[in-house]
Amino acid sequence: MTQTVPAAPEATAAPAAASGDVPEIEPRVPRSWWRLIALVFGALLFLFPFYYMIVGSLQRTANTALSGVIPWPGNLTMHNYSQINAALSLGKALLNSAIFTGGVLLGTLVFGVLAGYALAQLRFRGRGLVFASMLLLLMVPFQLLIIPLYVLIVRDYGLGDSYLGMIAPFAINSTAVFIFRQFFLNLPKELFDAARIDGASELRVLTRVALPLVRPAVLTAMLLTFIGPWNEFLWPLLITKQQSLQPLTVALANYISTVSGVATNPYGAIMAGAVVLAVPVVVLLVVFQRHFVSVNIGSAVKG
Amino acid sequence: MTSIVSRRPKLPPPEGGLRPGARQAGAQRLVRAALGRHPIGVLFSAPYAFFIAVLFAYPLGLAVWISFHRYFFAAPGVSVPRPYVGLANYEAVFDDPAVRQAFLNIVIFLVINVPLTVMLSLLLATALNAVIPFRAFFRTSFFVPYVTASVATVGVWLFMFSSGGIISNVLGPLAPHPSWLINEQWAMPTIAIYVTWKGLGIFILLYLAALQSVPKELYEAAKVDGASWWHRFRSVTVPGVRQVTTLVTLLAVITGANLFTEPYLLTGGGGPNGKSTSPVLQIYETGIEQNHPDFASALGVILVVGVLLIVGIQQLVQRRQA
Amino acid sequence: MKSRIAAAAAVPLTLGLLAACGGGGGVSANTAADAHGPISIWYSNNTQEVAWGEQMVASWNKLHPSEKVTGQQIPAASSSEEVIGAAITAGSEPCLIYNTAPAAVPTFQQQGGLVSLSSFPGGASYIEARTGAGASVYKSPDGNYYQMPWKSNPVMIFYNKKIFAKAGISTTNPPLSTYTEFLATSKKLVSSGAAKYAIYPDPSSDFFQAWYDFYPMYAAETGGTELVKNGKATFNSTAGDAVAAFWQQMYAEGLAGKGSYTNDPFADGTSAMAIVGPWAIASYQGKVDWGVVPVPTTAGSHGDQVPTFSDAKNIAMYASCKNRGTAWDFLKFSTSTAQDGKLLSMTGQMPMRQGIQQLYAPYFTANPSYKEFAAEAAHTIEVPNVPNSIQDWQVFRDAWSKSVIFAQQSPDAALAGAATKINQLVASGGTP
Repeated sequence: MTQTVPAAPEATAAPAAASGDVPEIEPRVPRSWWRLIALVFGALLFLFPFYYMIVGSLQRTANTALSGVIPWPGNLTMHNYSQINAALSLGKALLNSAIFTGGVLLGTLVFGVLAGYALAQLRFRGRGLVFASMLLLLMVPFQLLIIPLYVLIVRDYGLGDSYLGMIAPFAINSTAVFIFRQFFLNLPKELFDAARIDGASELRVLTRVALPLVRPAVLTAMLLTFIGPWNEFLWPLLITKQQSLQPLTVALANYISTVSGVATNPYGAIMAGAVVLAVPVVVLLVVFQRHFVSVNIGSAVKG
Repeated sequence: MTSIVSRRPKLPPPEGGLRPGARQAGAQRLVRAALGRHPIGVLFSAPYAFFIAVLFAYPLGLAVWISFHRYFFAAPGVSVPRPYVGLANYEAVFDDPAVRQAFLNIVIFLVINVPLTVMLSLLLATALNAVIPFRAFFRTSFFVPYVTASVATVGVWLFMFSSGGIISNVLGPLAPHPSWLINEQWAMPTIAIYVTWKGLGIFILLYLAALQSVPKELYEAAKVDGASWWHRFRSVTVPGVRQVTTLVTLLAVITGANLFTEPYLLTGGGGPNGKSTSPVLQIYETGIEQNHPDFASALGVILVVGVLLIVGIQQLVQRRQA
Repeated sequence: MKSRIAAAAAVPLTLGLLAACGGGGGVSANTAADAHGPISIWYSNNTQEVAWGEQMVASWNKLHPSEKVTGQQIPAASSSEEVIGAAITAGSEPCLIYNTAPAAVPTFQQQGGLVSLSSFPGGASYIEARTGAGASVYKSPDGNYYQMPWKSNPVMIFYNKKIFAKAGISTTNPPLSTYTEFLATSKKLVSSGAAKYAIYPDPSSDFFQAWYDFYPMYAAETGGTELVKNGKATFNSTAGDAVAAFWQQMYAEGLAGKGSYTNDPFADGTSAMAIVGPWAIASYQGKVDWGVVPVPTTAGSHGDQVPTFSDAKNIAMYASCKNRGTAWDFLKFSTSTAQDGKLLSMTGQMPMRQGIQQLYAPYFTANPSYKEFAAEAAHTIEVPNVPNSIQDWQVFRDAWSKSVIFAQQSPDAALAGAATKINQLVASGGTP
């Protein structure tokens, strides 16, 4: 399955995009309106829980009626935030989540790109084995390995209660490696051969030639990689016994299942924690959203 | 092609900066023979290979070994008997009604989640694949649930779907009683809907990218032929993104089979009468909470084999279709 | 490709076959028993207990600067047994844990994770002098103490006085001592609209939930029989069936809630009663005006002689402890008369010490409502110290859930099945 190198930039007002260009039987409501309605409805469905999360976190007493959707000034308070912050230090927990995720992103970016490139463009002994292992790894649930991994990392390597121990099983995200490999596969060989003839070392071929061409893919893969450790709470739960090391997912999960009953507005306090967990990421998403959709991604998934 | 060219001796392919005709050092040839044409590939993939070997292959091997023995965790330095027991753990797994229920729950989950995911993500991606006002806003909004940690979104879903929660209040008499997550019929479907909602973002992204490489001419041709929107969708869009559909289905199935976080957080401990437990949740409960890693490992091996089978079947079907 | 996958799968198998290792060595018991030095401890994450723990550690550290104790809350998880079990496996647990559930002791012992307290000079006699005759149920089958009975929370029935008044039921002497009375009162509470549920024990299927609905009432009904006695399950009996039938009726008539509830239903007024111990009082402060009575029985016997479940939490010393001499001294310090008194006044939970009502009379005069608990504390039963005890309770809970809560099987049949299974598990001895 060969693919051509995608060269077209992001489609602007292309002919097929906007309806109504080609004269034909027009439906009673112009198609663009249906599209808009569907999208608005979809966006509402997606965003409502977040809006509700914010409103819920600010309520003094939980109001679960339909009227609770609107933040009534009389029922607003920041007390929930202070209560959950008293139970678990929100800032430290968030920092731990960031360190955990950052470590994984770094490991995947450095070693994953190298591996993906090697698997795609280089011929070496053991290539097939590594590739097959990667596929196998993608299908095995983490929870099966969690027990032996726990013994290995905490007892044999003594990495309990450490960031390294948290990061280790996630250090290189295999889905990202898979995506990198797909992308590098779709680049033409001639490009590399030309660079090699010019006397470039493989590393330079990778960094100067290949990488710039697949930068959007790298960003997408990073996004995919990000969600793993950011969401993960079982492994850090096992690994970290000290509260000061626990990421926010662990802290919040424990709060939900054990301590929240003591708060004045338990659901409100949980919502407050959820908001703190959700907001930084949404902000990052909004800031970087321009980078995430691009034509080039299509070639990766076709392979 | 002149005769001069055809008579030129065959040169080794130019690589690694060697000038054509230069005699390769013996050592280099040995290295090439041992490690392949691009020995540096070994170096590049070494960290990843090491990672796989230490943090995946070894624990997996250990888990498989455990599944054939009587095994429980002991303190360091304490030696306990670990006799080989053949298939006893596997038999125990198949006999356990909780495990059977867990697999049934996953089937229910997949039946709801996978078609819903594929359809919704493709439809929404198609809608997004046009010039519309506020396009960036829509794109971002679909992605927000995906990038938010499950714990946070679970919190708000617990709030919304609780007994007196807003969903039940709005639906009034139509709401199931007992409410969603504690209702035996509705617990797993609720989880399925939650997971669909949460994961849709990345699938929309994949489809969006794939859609933009479907040639515009096909749409034009269909329009000229007088095809309606639905016809165009069915005959141009759907086949055009078939490979992404396969990928999406594959990812959804693998994620569904390995479901753990959502049952654990949303319904805690297997849900009403075990109706929302999942095999991986069972692995966690038996392996870690009850200290029976032998049972858990056997279950895990069965699960992996099952997933491999499904994936294999899917690949076969796809190959036959292509 | 297929051969590659096979090769990829073969590698883990090979590595796994080399993996029979038991990991690095543990702590040599002989040298550790006399060793003195810094140690670490865990206590529960209950706010009052944390406060008590912190002041206790601070006092010790002032007196023994060379044997510093570091205290921290037990890492939170869905159950403390899980956390402790995982820590034992890794060798990372602290010297002492002030939140050891008696039900988990057989498992921890089997893992080799506990230090025998009887091995210390005067160990057994110290424990028995403090707790009295009731300490013997905490011995392990080999006759040694692997846990020190520390505090109990006798499970009783709390009732919301305001809701009872609203339903027109006496708040000073509510009719709750026989099953018939209890059921009638519950029906009145719900039908009058005073509360949504009469009582709302957690219906989750965790192994320990039976301690808060079945077990206290079984203790009362049988006059103090444990779940398993002499290696045989005891609940497949008239008494067991009676308790199950009672709860089945409560669930069937909607008097008790079947769904898991995030908040505390008694604290927020959803439920008129709760079946719990005094540790919960802190969360009712300012929210509920409560009264307390013993759990009901078929025949109904008034007064605080009705046995109940202790819901005890004990102290244990763990195998990775290097400075066991200090740990033993600290253990004695933290269970002295003075510290037990502080535990009582700061947390309201009952230290498992003989004669607390006399020793701490000022406290009970100032808090008369706690007298009931102190009296009950002398009549509690414990979970049986048998092999596979956690799994036994899980089997029981699964049968209970299916039959009593979700009415998919008759309780008699379900309990009979559970009894058979439990007998097998107990008989299989040390191996799970």
